[in-house]
Amino acid sequence: MRSPNGGGQITTIPPRSVHAGDIALPPGYKIEPVISGLTFPTAIAFDDSNNLYVIEAGYSYGEVWGVPKLLRVNGDQLTQIAAGTDNGPWTGIAWHDSAFYVAEGGEKHGGQILKISREGVMTPLISNLPSIGDHHTNGPLIKDNYIYFGQGVATNSGVVGEDNAEFGWLARHKDFHDIPCKDVVLAGENYSSKNVLTDEPDDMVSTGAFVPFGTTTTAGQVIKGSLPCTGSVMRIPINGGPVELVGWGFRNPFGLALGPDGSIYVTDNGYDERGSRFVWGTGDLLWKLQDGMWYGWPDFSEGKPLADNGEFKPPTKDGIKALLQTYPNTPPKPAAIFDVHSSSNGIDFSRNPAFGFNGEAFVAQFGDMSGAGKVLSPVGFKIIRVNVENGTIRDFAVNKGKRNGPASFLGSGGLERPVSVKFSPDGSALYVVDFGIMKTDKDGIQPQKETGMIWKITKI
Amino acid sequence: MRKNILATSFVLAIISTMIIPSCVVRRSEPIVGNMFAPVDQLAIEGETIYMAKCQKCHPGGEGGLGPSINGLPGFLKPVQIRHGLGVMPAFKQDDLPKDELKKVRIYMREWQKY
Repeated sequence: MRSPNGGGQITTIPPRSVHAGDIALPPGYKIEPVISGLTFPTAIAFDDSNNLYVIEAGYSYGEVWGVPKLLRVNGDQLTQIAAGTDNGPWTGIAWHDSAFYVAEGGEKHGGQILKISREGVMTPLISNLPSIGDHHTNGPLIKDNYIYFGQGVATNSGVVGEDNAEFGWLARHKDFHDIPCKDVVLAGENYSSKNVLTDEPDDMVSTGAFVPFGTTTTAGQVIKGSLPCTGSVMRIPINGGPVELVGWGFRNPFGLALGPDGSIYVTDNGYDERGSRFVWGTGDLLWKLQDGMWYGWPDFSEGKPLADNGEFKPPTKDGIKALLQTYPNTPPKPAAIFDVHSSSNGIDFSRNPAFGFNGEAFVAQFGDMSGAGKVLSPVGFKIIRVNVENGTIRDFAVNKGKRNGPASFLGSGGLERPVSVKFSPDGSALYVVDFGIMKTDKDGIQPQKETGMIWKITKI
Repeated sequence: MRKNILATSFVLAIISTMIIPSCVVRRSEPIVGNMFAPVDQLAIEGETIYMAKCQKCHPGGEGGLGPSINGLPGFLKPVQIRHGLGVMPAFKQDDLPKDELKKVRIYMREWQKY
């Protein structure tokens, strides 16, 4: 196989350059910078006076820790409204009825949904969500007086392994594992790996699905479901209350948005080629949320089984085995299939015909983190639009040049890593939150502070 | 017959993995500066099929998990689709019936020249 050539595989890390002219858009649109110099920004919101706010995550893969913050943007000035502790990343924000609602990813202490007043008073509405693994608490989306949020899975594909030590959390939380939302019956597959929790170089362990590292399972074993659970979309009442399951069997449900028909659409990051159970060639997915539906993780992608399927068999490795003996339902087909390793994340729908593409979803593609998966060319690093009726995907904002890639890879001043998008309240402008420069190679993930920014796209 | 298929696959492997990636052709609307609006119903249906089966590895025909195919000569595409290449799986009749393959080819041809 050829060596990977992802967009984060830059030799040197340049300073962030900002030049809107380096970004291509369809005819009739323009893009301009709003503010730069942010550290790990992830999402924005508008209050009822149309003031713009941004959250900084306070944590990035590569295990770079900071303080999560809610900031008001006024021209090139930032005013801090609220700050979290060491429990980032803050992954999403919504404004509703004179308050902010923030998804606190909870890598260290568990995820939370926070209610933050205009004055910055923070109140947790739910805590101790199972976010201390690979993926975090995401969203939130307010609908019908409920707060919907996504909860990513702990592992890549169901089995705790060496890769989770590389992520950083396995040493902190040795017993953590994925939690099914309902009872599941295991096939009893176990995977051998080095015991990364000891210093013995020849110490090996065997680990099954939905159990702690070093714990084996047997065929027919039942893992009890419980709430809150991993790989799910859940909801709580707007003022807090018991958590309810909406859908499960996701892998990392990151972006939630209301579609034109009032349905909730969810972006879901696909499997990686890492860990004890490599999975190859799975796209990120866009789902239409259906109450009670199981979406297939850890044994399906795109509604197709992983087991005995050449499409998903990793090169040079054995075929994939199913982890579950029975399935709650046949997984549905996705509304759209994004590029493999594109990290298709934040989403919003165009609602103003004056902007154009009314009813289409706009999705921010953070871009490959080649290392967690190999690509032959940079994937993502752009804004795409999606016809959710037929799954057609077209580029909307991409960096100019002979090839696709982030600005740091191309040597330009365009997009780095778009992480979320949000239309202005009147729908006339599309705001893009750009996480900033993130170098990814065999030495690991190296995010760069103060390289994040916000862009604004409007019709000319 | 088998030798011919193997020989063709070898040639495709050389072209696809060594030459084509260095001749990446970007066809996305912002780059072309025009909107892709096929009128041929077969191309419209072909795009939908492409999105379901090809887009994730060849986004917009550019490189990604797989190499760029925008620069690949049209007559090679159905061979590669039917027989696979390297880690690319083969799409047999069950996966991609003849009429769907035709629609995908028409779409890719339209995508190349709009």
